[in-house]
Amino acid sequence: MATASETRMTPAKAVSFSLVGLWLFIAAFPFLWTFWGSFKVQADFFSKADWTNALWGTQTIAETGSAFTGQGYFGAWVIEAFWQNVINSGIVVVFTVIISLTFGTLGGYALARSGFRYAFWLLIAALVFRAMPHITLVSGYLLPFFEWNIWGHLPTTIIVLVAINQPFTLWMLHSFFLNIPKDMDESAMVDGCTRFQAFRHVIVPVMWPGVITTGLFSFLLAYNDFTVTAMLLSAENETMIPAINSFLGTTQVEGKVMYAVAAVVSATAPLFVLILFFQRQIVSGLTAGAVKG
Amino acid sequence: MAEIQLRNVGKRWGDYVGVDNFDLTIADREFLVLLGPSGCGKTTTMRMIAGLEDATEGEIVIDGKVVNDLEPKERDVAMVFQSYALYPNKNVYENIRFPLKVRKVDPATHDARVRRASAMVELDDFLHRRPAELSGGQRQRVALARAIVREPNVFLMDEPLSNLDAKLRVSTRAQIKNLSHELAVTTIYVTHDQVEAMTLADRVVIMKQGVVQQVGTPVDIYDRPANAFVAGFIGNPAMNLIEGVVSGGTFRAERTEVAGLSAPQGAVTLGFRAEDAQVVDTGGQINAPIYTMELLGDSTMVSVRINGALVSVKADKTFRGRIGDPVSIAVPAAQCHLFSAISGERIHA
Repeated sequence: MATASETRMTPAKAVSFSLVGLWLFIAAFPFLWTFWGSFKVQADFFSKADWTNALWGTQTIAETGSAFTGQGYFGAWVIEAFWQNVINSGIVVVFTVIISLTFGTLGGYALARSGFRYAFWLLIAALVFRAMPHITLVSGYLLPFFEWNIWGHLPTTIIVLVAINQPFTLWMLHSFFLNIPKDMDESAMVDGCTRFQAFRHVIVPVMWPGVITTGLFSFLLAYNDFTVTAMLLSAENETMIPAINSFLGTTQVEGKVMYAVAAVVSATAPLFVLILFFQRQIVSGLTAGAVKG
Repeated sequence: MAEIQLRNVGKRWGDYVGVDNFDLTIADREFLVLLGPSGCGKTTTMRMIAGLEDATEGEIVIDGKVVNDLEPKERDVAMVFQSYALYPNKNVYENIRFPLKVRKVDPATHDARVRRASAMVELDDFLHRRPAELSGGQRQRVALARAIVREPNVFLMDEPLSNLDAKLRVSTRAQIKNLSHELAVTTIYVTHDQVEAMTLADRVVIMKQGVVQQVGTPVDIYDRPANAFVAGFIGNPAMNLIEGVVSGGTFRAERTEVAGLSAPQGAVTLGFRAEDAQVVDTGGQINAPIYTMELLGDSTMVSVRINGALVSVKADKTFRGRIGDPVSIAVPAAQCHLFSAISGERIHA
């Protein structure tokens, strides 16, 4: 039950509500603007004459007879075969996440349970590698990749992305494992498990929120990566983000920019769905370390 | 049948000695309690028997077989952890069943065995709950049931009662004693609570800083403590210890004179229990002002200070005095224990 003092609108409350409203507007505006504009023609969305054309679609009506058009989407998905990039992204993301999580859980568990001092130094080394700009890994490997003739292929990119991502997954999963009491493994081992069975039957089931959270961050890294994928993939193997970039890069031809806008909206939509779907696990995963159950 | 032998077992981490030269044979079906203050090596000793910690010296023998190099699961022991270590994602039934499942016990027998174990600890009504939905006492009983379901050779219990409130501790203690009698399994029980040790044990091992101080029945340890540490650790209140000097069979310290002792000349620690001394009108061996008085219901605890240490005496429950009033305490020489002032070892009369 809300009491009178909770429902009364004080000036301080009014200010804080309007600040939140302003922030929401500023944060959401670029997405809404892009989403709205993706159904217009380039002459509206990038109008030199009057920016309000993007709102009302004056040129769109003139060119297509309707205020909304799917031309951008048709161009991106059908003419430029953006679906191929989506599939490439899917392959890169799925394998990067699976490989990162496999090594991350095994390694994080080992480091969390190891009593040796080198565990600490391994983690510090991982942190250093994590701090390096992604481009350092790419530029160092470019020549060998050319020499070995493995440049431009998806597996090469997956390996590099895993290498970039691994320190982070190790750290994150390591701290999740530290939060699971050692008694649990030991109890399982006295009950009759081997070390690995204890890990699989007792520790991992308790760890799911951590695995999902870490997996999601790995997913985002691979999904959003530009540096590595742009440098290492040939045109036919491009993932979504470099593909969008190449749409933008060819502005001489009218309409290509609108392909980029439509592709951006297509690439963003799954992220919203994903975050909404996993939000409970993400929140519990992010706070699991902070509060003791 | 499981006799456990610890042959000069030791545990070192670098220069630090966790357990030093532990040598003991634990008889089949014996209830042995490892007792000591925290950090004395009692839990380490138990973990070495369980296989969770490697012994750096000596041999551990269970049932005639050296188990030093065996994994925990191959030793046929069951353990109850201080934190219970229940599996939070499994319900009570699955928690209790887990040892049967991972050891590939015939699945047809699982249900009956889980139900028998849960009935023994009165958990029948909670089988479908998750550990998070149980009270501390119920969780503790799940841990017990999980340990007994397999009918192991050896039971290990690491401070199983320390997370329970005082009242529950007494009833669970009784339950554990009854259970161990019924199951007739060799049990090793670690605790820092001397009341638990006295009530549960067939034999008690008292440890301090990794070294065994005394092994004996509770009565032995109470009546004939092997050194001043044991004397000062066992009993509630612990034995009174007064430092002083013996000459000519008479012990002298501040405000204290006890005659008729058969001990050589020199510095000693004199010990006696609160219930062995009496408050008298005059002519007692200790004459000092009352430092504090505690009404216990069935008696009154009168304390004085000798050499800065508290000396307590059990007086009649009707005894009343004021703090600062002089009091005289009779300490019968026959009830006194003498310990060497240097080594702390008992001086045998």
